[in-house]
Amino acid sequence: MEKLMEIAKKVSDKVEIYSLEKTENGIVFENAKLKDIDSKLQSGFSLRIIKDGKLGFAFTKNLIDREEFVQNTLDSLKGGVEAKFNLPLTKDLPKLQTYDPSIETLTNTEIVDECNRICDILSPKTNGQINLYAGSEVDKIRLINSNGTDLSTESSFYYNYTSIMYPGGYSSISRVVTYKNFEKTPDECLNYILNTYNQASKEVTPKGGKMKVLFLPETLYVLMWRLWFATSGKSLYEKQSPISERLGKKIFDKKLTIYNNPLYDRMPGARSFDDEGSPCQHFLILENGVLKNFYYDLNYSNKLNKKPTGHGFRSAAWGGDSITIKPTPFLSHLYIKPGDKSFSELVKSIDRGIIIAGALGAHSGNIPNGDFSIGLNPALYIENGEIVGYVKDSMAAGNIYKVMKNVIAIEDTFYPAHSGTYPSILFDNVSVSTKS
Amino acid sequence: MLDKLKSIISKVDANYSDIRYETKKETKIIFNGEELNQIGSNITDGYVIRILKNGGLSSIAFTKEVDAEKAISNALENATLIARNVEKPIELAKTEVIEDTFLPELKEDPRMISIDEKLEITQKYNSIPLKHNGISTTTTQYLEVIREKYYVNSEGSEIREDLITTRIFGTIISKDGNLIQNVRAGVGGSNGFALLRDKEEEFEKKTNIVLDLLKANPIKGGVYNVILNPSIAGVFTHEAFGHFSEADLIEDSPTMREKMQLGAKLGSDALNIIDDPTTPDQLGFYKYDDEGVKARPTKLLEYGVLVGRLHSRRTAAAFEEHLTGHCVAEDYRFAPIIRMGNIFIQPGRKNFEELLAELSDGLYILDSKGGQTSGENFTFGAQYAYIVKDGKLGKMIRDINISGNLYKTLQNITLIGNDLDLCKIGGCGKGQLNIRSCHGAPHIIIKDVIIGGM
Repeated sequence: MEKLMEIAKKVSDKVEIYSLEKTENGIVFENAKLKDIDSKLQSGFSLRIIKDGKLGFAFTKNLIDREEFVQNTLDSLKGGVEAKFNLPLTKDLPKLQTYDPSIETLTNTEIVDECNRICDILSPKTNGQINLYAGSEVDKIRLINSNGTDLSTESSFYYNYTSIMYPGGYSSISRVVTYKNFEKTPDECLNYILNTYNQASKEVTPKGGKMKVLFLPETLYVLMWRLWFATSGKSLYEKQSPISERLGKKIFDKKLTIYNNPLYDRMPGARSFDDEGSPCQHFLILENGVLKNFYYDLNYSNKLNKKPTGHGFRSAAWGGDSITIKPTPFLSHLYIKPGDKSFSELVKSIDRGIIIAGALGAHSGNIPNGDFSIGLNPALYIENGEIVGYVKDSMAAGNIYKVMKNVIAIEDTFYPAHSGTYPSILFDNVSVSTKS
Repeated sequence: MLDKLKSIISKVDANYSDIRYETKKETKIIFNGEELNQIGSNITDGYVIRILKNGGLSSIAFTKEVDAEKAISNALENATLIARNVEKPIELAKTEVIEDTFLPELKEDPRMISIDEKLEITQKYNSIPLKHNGISTTTTQYLEVIREKYYVNSEGSEIREDLITTRIFGTIISKDGNLIQNVRAGVGGSNGFALLRDKEEEFEKKTNIVLDLLKANPIKGGVYNVILNPSIAGVFTHEAFGHFSEADLIEDSPTMREKMQLGAKLGSDALNIIDDPTTPDQLGFYKYDDEGVKARPTKLLEYGVLVGRLHSRRTAAAFEEHLTGHCVAEDYRFAPIIRMGNIFIQPGRKNFEELLAELSDGLYILDSKGGQTSGENFTFGAQYAYIVKDGKLGKMIRDINISGNLYKTLQNITLIGNDLDLCKIGGCGKGQLNIRSCHGAPHIIIKDVIIGGM
C-alpha cells in the first residue's frame, strides 16, 4: 500500500487507500439438516485521489500493476466529479475490543455441532420447520491517506440465525445472536422463538382496520430505513429530506431515542473510524422524540458546510463489495434505546392488535415521503393480551411521521437485527388490511 | 486461462470439482441531480471452486491465485463435513461435456464506445426531467458490466462465455411542499449499446408521470379487481410464481414441496408460464449456466398445471427431474444458485380494450417498484395506477402496494392479454444480485387483490 501511495501522491494532491481482507464461512441448515457450507477469501483495494478539486476513484481485487491502477484512477478524473473536501489526519483513537483471536481456531465442525444442538432442542417441541444460518467472519481494514492517517482494525464475528418456519413459505419467527467469537445461543433466545411460534401456530383471519401494532426488532428496519434516508446529509443536499427544517423539533414520540454508536464494542464490528478515516462517535439522531442531528461523510459535510460526523461508509442498500463502493453517509451501528416493558408485558397490554414478525416489500414504498406498505410475513394476532394465531395475506401501511408519534411502549432489551440493534416497539393506530 | 484452471483443479482429490474464473469490468457513471457523482471503469476478478466428495458438495470463492491450494483444502474439508452430516449423499445430475467459446453478437459493442460518449448520453437523459418545474432531483446511472467467464470442470467441460449488460436507469423525484413522489425510468439490455440510443421518450414519459403523481390521491387499502400492465405483471410472475419454481428454494421444505408437485393444478386454465434463457436479444439471455449446463427453455405452467421447475445439477438429481441450466452466479464472488433467466406469461388473445371492458370496475396498475417473496406470500409495489369505472380509465392514484398468496392469486388470473413485453432492466436479490434477471407478461386481469394503501 505504501508503494501505491508513493506512486499516487506524485500525480495528485490528495490520496486515500482503503484495503479490506475478509474471510467468511457460512453454514446453512434447512429443515434441521445441514444443507450447505460456503467459504470466501476476499480482498481488495480502493483508491481515491483528489486533483484540482476533482475526484478520481478506482478499485481492484488484486494489486498487481500499481501504475495501471493509479492510471485508472486518473482516467476517472476526466468526468469532473467535484471533491472539495479534505482528507482527515486522524490518530489517537480509542482502542476498541473488536477481535477475539480464538475465532481463528473455530472450526466449521464446531458450528455444525452447535446447529445440531439447537435443532435437537427445538425439533421435539415444535411442528414448525427449523432453518439456521450460522457462520464466522474476520475482516481486516486498513486505511491510509496522504495527510498522514494510517488506521487499521480487525474484527471477528460469529453469528447464528435461528428460525422456525410457518408451513408453505419462508415466513418465520426468528432471532439472530452475534458475538466476537463462538458462543452457544442462549436458552432464553431459543425459548423466545419456540414459545412465540408455538403460541401462534394456528392460522387466524381477523378483520382489518386501525389497531395496535408491535414491530419486532426483526421488522423495525421497515421504519428505520425511512428515517435513515431522511437524516442523511446526502438527502439534505439533494433536498429530498421531508424533515430538513425540523432540527431541534419534536418529530416523534418522546419515548424514542435513536443513536448511532460504532464505539460500543460489546457488540461485534465496533469501529473507531469510518471508511474514510474520520473518528466515529456516539451520535444522537433523535433524543426523546426530538431530531438532534443529520449525519454526514466528508463529501456531503463539505457541500453543506457542516463538520463531518464520521459516517462515511462503503455500504450499499443491497450489500455489494465494499471496495467497489465510494463512501456515502451511512448509519453503520444504529440503536434504539430500550424502554421499560418486557416482551410479555407488551403482548399483555394489547387488547386487539398484531405483532409484525416478518415484512415483505420494505424497499418498495415511497421511502422519501416516509411511507411504508408491507406484506405481513407473518403477523401474529393478539386478542385480550394473548397471541391467538398467525395471519397471512395481509398488509400494514402508514407513514413514519405519523406512526412514530404514537408509541405506546418500548421493550426493555435490544437485540441485533436487520440494519441495527432494536427493542420491540408497540405503536397505536396503524392501518392493517386483511382479506376478511 | 482455461489451461491454468485445469491445472488448479487437477490437484483436487474428489469425485467432482469445477472452477470458474471471471473478470468483471464495471463502468459506472452516476448523476445526482445535475451533479456528476461518479465516473470510471474498473476491472476486478476472482475464482470460485466447487468440490463434491463422498456426497458432500461445498464451494469457496477466493481472490488471489496463490490462495488456490488453501481454498481447495478448505472446500475439501467442508465437503467432507457435509458428507458426514447428510442423510442422502448429494449427487449431480449427468450433463453433456461441453467445449465451447460463446461471445455474444452485439448491436454496438459498449467496449468500443468512449466514456465521453457514455457520459454525454447519460447526461442527456438525466437532464430531461431536470428541465421541469416540480422535479426536485434525479438519480441517473449508466451501468455497464462485462463479465468474461472461464469455466472448467473435472468431467472435461471447458467453456468461455461473455455476458455484457448495459443500462441507463434511475429515479426521478418530484416534490410539492412536503409531498415527495418518485418513479423509476430506464433503458437497457444484454445485446449492445445501441439499445441505449434514442430513448428520450422513456425519460419524458416518466417525468410527466412523476409530476402527475403530485396531484394524484393515495389509494384506500382494500381488496380490488385489477389489470396489471406487462411490467408489473412480469414482476408478479417473477416474485410470486418464479421463485417458487426454483428447486433450491423448496427442496428442503416438505410443505412447499407438497404443494409444488408436478401435475398440480395451480393456476387458472388461461395461464401458461415459461422460463427461456435462450430467447435471443432479451436481458436474461445466456448460453451456458455457471455449472456448464446448456440453458434450455423450461415450461413451468401449462394451462394452469405445474409441468416443470428450474434446476441446478444438484436439485435435478435430488428431484429426479430434467436439467434446465438455471444455476447462475452474480460474479466471481459467488457459487452459482438457481435463478430465473427470461420468465414470462405467454400471451393470450384479448387486447387491452377488451381487458378494460371485462374488468369494468377496478384498478389499472402500472410499472413495478420492486417486490419481495417468501414462499407462498408476496408483496410488490407499483409506481402508479388509474381507477377504472365502467371499463373506462379515470383518475391517477398513488401509493400502490400489492400483497397476496401465490396459490389464490394464480387461480384469480382470469384473463390474459395479447401484448407480451419483457423488461429491459432487471434486478433480483436472492442472496446475490442478478442484474440480468428478466421477466415479462402481457396485460392480465387478477381478481381480489389485496392493496395496502395508506
